[in-house]
Amino acid sequence: MSAYIIPIIFIALFCYSKYKKVNTYETFVKGAKKSIPLVVDIFPYIAAIMIAVALLRASGITSLLAYLLSPIFNALGIPTELIELVLLRPFTGSGSYALLNDVLVQYGADSYISRCACVILGCSETIFYVTTVYISQTKVKKLLYAIPIALICATFGSIIACLLCKIF
Amino acid sequence: MNKIWFIMIVGSICFLIWSDPSNILNVMIDASGEALSLAIELCAVYAVWLGVLELVEASGLGEKLAKLLHPLIKRIFKIDDAGAEKMIALNMSANMLGLGNAATPMGINAMKKLDDGSGTATPAMIMLIVINATSIQLLPSTVIGLRAAAGSASPSDIILPTIIATFCTCILGICLVKLCNKYFYKKLSKKYKHNKKEIKK
Repeated sequence: MSAYIIPIIFIALFCYSKYKKVNTYETFVKGAKKSIPLVVDIFPYIAAIMIAVALLRASGITSLLAYLLSPIFNALGIPTELIELVLLRPFTGSGSYALLNDVLVQYGADSYISRCACVILGCSETIFYVTTVYISQTKVKKLLYAIPIALICATFGSIIACLLCKIF
Repeated sequence: MNKIWFIMIVGSICFLIWSDPSNILNVMIDASGEALSLAIELCAVYAVWLGVLELVEASGLGEKLAKLLHPLIKRIFKIDDAGAEKMIALNMSANMLGLGNAATPMGINAMKKLDDGSGTATPAMIMLIVINATSIQLLPSTVIGLRAAAGSASPSDIILPTIIATFCTCILGICLVKLCNKYFYKKLSKKYKHNKKEIKK
């Protein structure tokens, strides 16, 4: 079902544009042209955050943090095995998918731990990555409380995820 | 962001000097290479979506969508900018369809329009960041794919809990931003602007 949503939207959009007498080819090219400068602009931000995450993982700080924070997370209902995933998720998309794959292989795809991991990943976003990329084109330096709120929500999401997996 | 990045880099390097000093530069260059390949991938994705976006705008569908979502956006963001509203409408629609990468260029455009140049994020910008950071995702396709590949009996049975969890976090996010915008925004932004003036003097 979901595989049809995008194609249908595309057909509708192209036909509607034609109906509105828009030159589809020229317009599309005009828009697509903007992608290269956009990527050039955001590349340094992506690189900076990915370098920081790579160093963090290589240094072993994340596993140490996971160990230190396990009493807190356990109290909130998040299993020890998933702490590293919860900690890294705000920073990296590809990294957390790699971790999810490790969890799936290690504990079996249908275990409680694996289902929790899937829901945690499904309901969260790479907060720091999204934030840096989104403000990269503006003059904003002070985000005030945007990141703390996003992190609170992510933690809350992880707690709910583990709770829901117990019910379903 | 400056502080967080600094702590991450310096902390990790201090740790690595103990355990594996020769590897530090390699790790950094590898990561930057990964970022480059991601950027190239994104360039392809954005080319498709920015092309489509241009069509959406040229055909006037953007305005229609914005009109449709107008009551919702007005409520959440409290803004009076038709251009920004349109971009936010497109950004939210793409997010709901699970097209995070398609939502990004629209989000960036919306951010540009919401920026007031003061250096401090406006309430609407904070809202947009939080909504995107807790994004409502109706179909976690990558996760389902990975789960199927790992041999799950019914890989899609995580959809329902995921949707419930994602709605909860998104609503919590919106409420928290609303509260903070109401009670803390003036104080905090004033404080910052005040500091800036002092520095100039």
